[in-house]
This record gives sequence, C-alpha cells and structure tokens, in this order.
Amino acid sequence: MSSITTKLATATVNRTLFNAPYSSVAIKQLFEVSNSYRSEINVIPSAAWAAAQRGPDGLVTAKTFMNAAVNSSKSVIVPDAPKYKKDSGTYTSRSFAYLMVGATGVMTASATKVSVTDFLTNLSASADVLAMAKAEVDLSKVPEGKNITIKWRGKPIFIRHRTADEIAEANSVKLTDLKDPQSDAERARKPEWLIMIGVCTHLGCVPIGEAGDFGGWYCPCHGSHYDISGRIRKGPAPLNLEVPQYEFEGDTLI
Amino acid sequence: MPSHLANYSSLNRYSRTLYQTLFKRNTVFLVGIFTTAFVFEMGFDTASDRLWDHLNKGKQWKDIKDKYASS
Repeated sequence: MSSITTKLATATVNRTLFNAPYSSVAIKQLFEVSNSYRSEINVIPSAAWAAAQRGPDGLVTAKTFMNAAVNSSKSVIVPDAPKYKKDSGTYTSRSFAYLMVGATGVMTASATKVSVTDFLTNLSASADVLAMAKAEVDLSKVPEGKNITIKWRGKPIFIRHRTADEIAEANSVKLTDLKDPQSDAERARKPEWLIMIGVCTHLGCVPIGEAGDFGGWYCPCHGSHYDISGRIRKGPAPLNLEVPQYEFEGDTLI
Repeated sequence: MPSHLANYSSLNRYSRTLYQTLFKRNTVFLVGIFTTAFVFEMGFDTASDRLWDHLNKGKQWKDIKDKYASS
C-alpha cells in the first residue's frame, strides 16, 4: 500500500500518464486530483489569460498568456516551442505577405497584357502586306493643271496638280453652300496638290476628271458633281470625295 | 532575437513605413501593382531583346543589311 501511495504521489507530482499505476484506485484518485486541479484552474479565468498590449495604432505589440505549463501544475504540459516562434516583427511579416501578393499581381498583370497584345498583333497586317499597301508617286512628272490616276489598295487615287486660279476658286466657296462642309485647307495638305480616293461617295463609281458643272469631277452613274477641291456640290452623293493618308517626301508622294 | 523584441527592430520600422505607404490602402496598392507591372515589362523587354541580339549577333537582318541594301 505504501508503495502505491508513493507511486501515486510521484505520479501526481509528475502528472504523466505513462508512469501512473494501472490500478483502479490509482486512476480514480488520479482523476479526482486532476479534476480538482482543473476546477481550480477553471475558476479563475481572469483577464490575465490573454491580455494583449496594444500600441497607439491598435496593433498588438505583445501578448501575455498565462503559461499553462507552469500554472496548471503540470496537468497539461504545453511546450514553449521557442524553436518555432518566428523572430520577425509584426510589420515585417505582414509587409512580406503583401509584397508576395503584390509581386504575384505584377506578374499576372504583365502576363495578361503580353498575351492579349500578342494575340492582337497576330490579327494585324504583317510587314509585307503593309509594304504592298503603299504607293509612291513621283510628283515632279505631273504638270500643273493635270490629273493623274494611280491604283492604291485596289482603288483609284486622283492626284491633281492645281493651278493658282483653281486654289483661289476652291477657297472662295462659302462653307454654308456645301452639303458636306469642309474647307479646302482641310482637304489638301499642300494647296497645289489635291489627293483623293477616286470613288464616288454615292454608289462607288469612278468619277470623270475635269468635268461637271463645277469644274472638278463628275460621276456619270447618277450625276454627282464635285468641285475643284473634290467636294460634293450637286447630285445624290452625300459626302465629299475621300482623302487618303499621304505624306510628302521631297517630291515623291507616299 | 527574441520574438518580443522583433517589433522594435529597424527592419520592422522599415516594414512599417512600407506598409503604411503602399499596402494599407487598396487603391494605392493596386495602382502600385500596375505601375510596377508597366515598368517591369519595359525593363524585361529591353533586357530580353538585348540578350537575343547578343546571342544572335551577325545573324539578323539588321546586322547584315549593309552588305545588301544599297541606300
């Protein structure tokens, strides 16, 4: 009996189940003792259990927990595990997490942008198509007061070297008289050169040069008259003759 | 370093500044992400182009153009 008591006492002090004797009395007593300890502990759930110290910005700077391993008289042994505690500060770990999230966002954004642009570049015209889509004209061969017609992207282009009289005439027209008001300066970058797509804006016929009531172009299909600036003056066409994109390089035209 | 002292380290101070300026507001965070993505892409493109040109030196049209193109 005395040996059991001794064992029990040892077990109570050590509180490990492994060396506790497997007699019912011992277990019972162990249970009671353990219970009494537990109830004692549970009676005092004070603020000291998890008191957090907060800094001025509301962040937890330090936490105090009642150390169960010490205060519960070894009923439950909670390891302190200092090895696993991180030694970085609150802001450091938080900023690291946000940094990782941000970096992922950067990568995703770049990847998305690149895939979208690559896909769209795929759809656009390739270099050989673009090279074919240009036309060069030597303007020095076009005398004053003459038209030439070239083919560009399957459409005729009218190029007229206008005389000073024709320019003056084109500028003298009041914009209020026009169906599609556009000044001559808007249509010809250099006033002596008028460059237009030679397709009637009505139904797509090719107008005839130096004809019609206004000294410009005349569409024979339905009788649209264009003036010397290629603007619609009379007839069914709704718009002026279209001006393509062009550039002058010295005397050549692109 | 003991964990309760880590909050007073200089690294934590820098992290605090970083957090307060960049991460705290989501708008700032997002704008920052897109700006960084833009800058990153420019740098990445330049670097990869340079690497490609370096690895293919003498093989590309722009390197041998002088031999064939007259003007």
